Amino acid sequence: MIAGKRILGAAVSAMLMGSVSAYADTIKVGIIGPFSGPFALQGKNFQAGVEAYMALNGKSVKGHDIEIIYRDLPAANPAQSRALAQELVVKEKVQYLGGVYFTPDAMAITPLLSQANTPLVIFNAATSAIVNTSPLVVRTSFTTAQTTNPLGKIAFNEGVKKAITVVSDYGPGVDAENAFRKAFEAAGGQVVEAVRMPMNTTDFSPIMQRVRDSGATGLFAFLPSGPPTLGFVKAFNETGLKKAGIKFYAPGDLTQESDLPALGEAAEGLKTSFHYSVAHDSPENKKFVEAAVKAIGSADQLSFPAVGAYDGMHVIYKMIEATDGKQDAKKAVDAVRGLSWTSPRGPVRIEPETRHITQNIYLREVAKDADGKYINKEIQTFPDQKDPGLATQ
Amino acid sequence: MQTILSIAIDALAFGMVLFIICIGLSLTMGLMRVVNLAHGAFAMIAGYIASYAARDLGLGYAASIFLAIIGTIVISIPLERFLYRRIYGSPELTQVLMTIGLTFCVIGITNYFMGPTLKIIPLPEALSQPLDVGFRTIAAHRLFVIACGAAVAGGLWYLIERTTFGIKLRATVDNAAMSDALGVRTQVVYAISFAIAIGLAALGGVVGAEFLPIEPYYALRYMVTFLVVVSVGGAGSIPGALIACLVLGFVDTTGRYLMPDFGNFFFYAAVILIVCLFPRGFLGRAQ
Amino acid sequence: MHIMAQAGTVSAMPDAKSHLWRDAAGIALISACGAAGYWLFPDNLALLTRIVAVALLVLSIDLVVGYCGVATLGQAALFGAGAYAAGIACVNGVTEPMTLIAIGAIAGAAAGLLMGGVMLRAHGLAQLVLSIAIVQLFHEAANKASAYTGGSDGLAGLMVSPLFGLFEFDLWGRTAYLMGLVLLLLVFIALKFVVASPFGMLCRGIKQDPVRIRAMGAFVFPVLLKMFVISGAVAGTGGALAAVSTQVVGLDSVSFELSANALVMLVLGGLGTLYGALIGTVIFMGFEHVVSAFNPFHWMTMVGALLIAVVLAAPGGLTSLVGKVAASRQGKP
Repeated sequence: MIAGKRILGAAVSAMLMGSVSAYADTIKVGIIGPFSGPFALQGKNFQAGVEAYMALNGKSVKGHDIEIIYRDLPAANPAQSRALAQELVVKEKVQYLGGVYFTPDAMAITPLLSQANTPLVIFNAATSAIVNTSPLVVRTSFTTAQTTNPLGKIAFNEGVKKAITVVSDYGPGVDAENAFRKAFEAAGGQVVEAVRMPMNTTDFSPIMQRVRDSGATGLFAFLPSGPPTLGFVKAFNETGLKKAGIKFYAPGDLTQESDLPALGEAAEGLKTSFHYSVAHDSPENKKFVEAAVKAIGSADQLSFPAVGAYDGMHVIYKMIEATDGKQDAKKAVDAVRGLSWTSPRGPVRIEPETRHITQNIYLREVAKDADGKYINKEIQTFPDQKDPGLATQ
Repeated sequence: MQTILSIAIDALAFGMVLFIICIGLSLTMGLMRVVNLAHGAFAMIAGYIASYAARDLGLGYAASIFLAIIGTIVISIPLERFLYRRIYGSPELTQVLMTIGLTFCVIGITNYFMGPTLKIIPLPEALSQPLDVGFRTIAAHRLFVIACGAAVAGGLWYLIERTTFGIKLRATVDNAAMSDALGVRTQVVYAISFAIAIGLAALGGVVGAEFLPIEPYYALRYMVTFLVVVSVGGAGSIPGALIACLVLGFVDTTGRYLMPDFGNFFFYAAVILIVCLFPRGFLGRAQ
Repeated sequence: MHIMAQAGTVSAMPDAKSHLWRDAAGIALISACGAAGYWLFPDNLALLTRIVAVALLVLSIDLVVGYCGVATLGQAALFGAGAYAAGIACVNGVTEPMTLIAIGAIAGAAAGLLMGGVMLRAHGLAQLVLSIAIVQLFHEAANKASAYTGGSDGLAGLMVSPLFGLFEFDLWGRTAYLMGLVLLLLVFIALKFVVASPFGMLCRGIKQDPVRIRAMGAFVFPVLLKMFVISGAVAGTGGALAAVSTQVVGLDSVSFELSANALVMLVLGGLGTLYGALIGTVIFMGFEHVVSAFNPFHWMTMVGALLIAVVLAAPGGLTSLVGKVAASRQGKP
């Protein structure tokens, strides 16, 4: 019976592959992301990144036309994620999977990959462990530990000896808390208190009161981008902490470009560390921003998920080039191990071992540009940052 | 002591925002017996109108609030006429189905036309300053919100207890058929109450935008909070809703200060406790 | 608060035989639809499996809402209890799928006992709010206990062994779907017996008039609590099925959103018939799948429009439409 099923399975996959190689004029790429619901903005950025890449680099590789199929996964939902991935692979016969905003959704897809003979290029999901769950996963975004790590040293060097950490109480928040504590304590500082706030917190004044009472001179915060960041930054100002000279550090999720018009003056001078700022000064980024703004429709909405998607498409194009349109996931992934290129965010490389992206992390400050628009202005570069979360494992 | 006072002011401001938005829902649920889960959607629509008026039309804050309230009520009139009137007196779950459907539509349409980014309503200079009140600095708009909440509570109390319309409203609520027979035009009473409820949602959405920022998912994001607050207060009771907002605001704020890691546990444990002690809400009417 | 006044009345009790035939036909129809799904959509079996798992959740809500008149927006607490129990057992070395389903059902029943014990103290709106508070507390607890549940990253790495040692849970999802379908049928048949039993009739009686039932000398609380436990077992089965077939358990399985969506599906299909639960689930999730594939960006408006249209056209849910059509046919011979 097992043998029977195996033969059936083999026959089906042979049919799949046969059909692909016989009429290999269109290669399908399935993109899963939050295109509606509370995270619709991030999904829109996925789409903008993908479209920008295709606009700049053509819609075909080596004569194979590329077709993108989008599937909506509004919020973290592993069961739906698996169902969508299965449908994309089995029914739509995609050769590559991309996207994925949330960690559990990625975790639900990775067990399918080897059987599906399909690589997964993650455009966002930022928990270190994902790349360990399957050798067919490549990630072009960042991990929370990676973007947080340099902040510990920066804070200490700016004279902060005692810091308090305030993070949203979920996976990435805890990752950020740990990464900051480790780096800050390694530099010689002391974390006097660690606060984890529930995800749905809307009024941050009591938290700020706690920050004030803790006696810390530096505040490290992590909140996912979106509505609560506005309340958090405002509360920081309004409760007088900013005036009192308490230094504020956070990974760049907190000052996502799409939130900046709303944050406005309140955010001015905030220092965040991240892998990408829309204001990054390079010819590659200029071209990218122009194309991506055209795709997304409004300059205010463009932010970091777009660059993850853009580079993700670069990786997928390289994979298609290497396999020449044949469905061979292992060969495709092997072809991009060690791949390095200049991304809109700066020089990047796919680590051969971990398949995670190595990149510059920038310290940025919220400031006005020449047109009076708020931007994340890069003021310091930390080159060649690997994921510290993976290094320790 | 300073800390306690400071927490108390924060709790009061947060509670008042909840009150202004929720009191409208409490009226629709308690007086008109309509479980209007789209209530938050109206608050959101008002926020968008105010944001548009203030940023694109350059109107002042007060004018923006006024325009938002009027605009939201105007939008709600056809909805009341063609959708809500069909579900007056329907079983609650049918109302839930319809109003959730309406919420989905509003979210989808807003996302399509306004985009998924946050919208802000710029505060006037006087309200955006941090104010030094001796023991701490507090944002001036928090005091403004507290004042708004007090004004709404007082105004509603006067309207319902001291005016002719209030008498008709209470009569309609107690026995619609009998009131009708006695010459009260219940349809008109319903329509006016509905407009008042929507207007309050609009006011709350605008002045509360500093706490609950305006974005398309607003309508669903805070739906549970609104529903819980109204039920804890007892649907239809103004003082009940006020007490519920203040108590829950206090529990929430204090819990988040004392043990931020378990903030939600405090809130919902308090809800369970209150509901077990007061099965009809603080001041809910017997049914 | 008479939440579900529109469901069928108890008094209508034609001869039991015709009921039996009707239910046999209904079950045959469900099996036929399930099999048709297998042959018509062989490439969407993961979706169909998800529908089956959610259908179990919606059935469990019908038991308490449709048959007992207890409004709940927190049923996902029971679904999630089953999912996490199965998931944690699996990670700790229990990999036999049927055992995992049983563990899920037991955990769901236990959670149902707890939830019923709290919720049945209140009535109407207060009850609804209690259910919300409970599901939120479950959600927080699952998030906090990340050492066991994986928190917001999800509980991953479930290695489920092949069903009966033969059929693997693979990419194509045939095993998962067929197992889910058989489970759904068995549960459905069992529930038909439960709701037709004297106990089930007593529940309906309580829903219509708890005072009169009490006056007749029956105890209301233990009867409803028993139904809650049964409902918990059904929801837990659904949760375990989702865990086994997805191999990941996420926080969404104990969320208010899932509870609310499931209740919407039930009301869409119609209360108090068990068929309505299945119809509502299939229509809602199928529609959502089609429109969200058609336009991944703005499909929510269309789902909203569907719900409004159903309320305007068939306020009692889609099954009531079937009843109306049948009645109007009988009306003009």
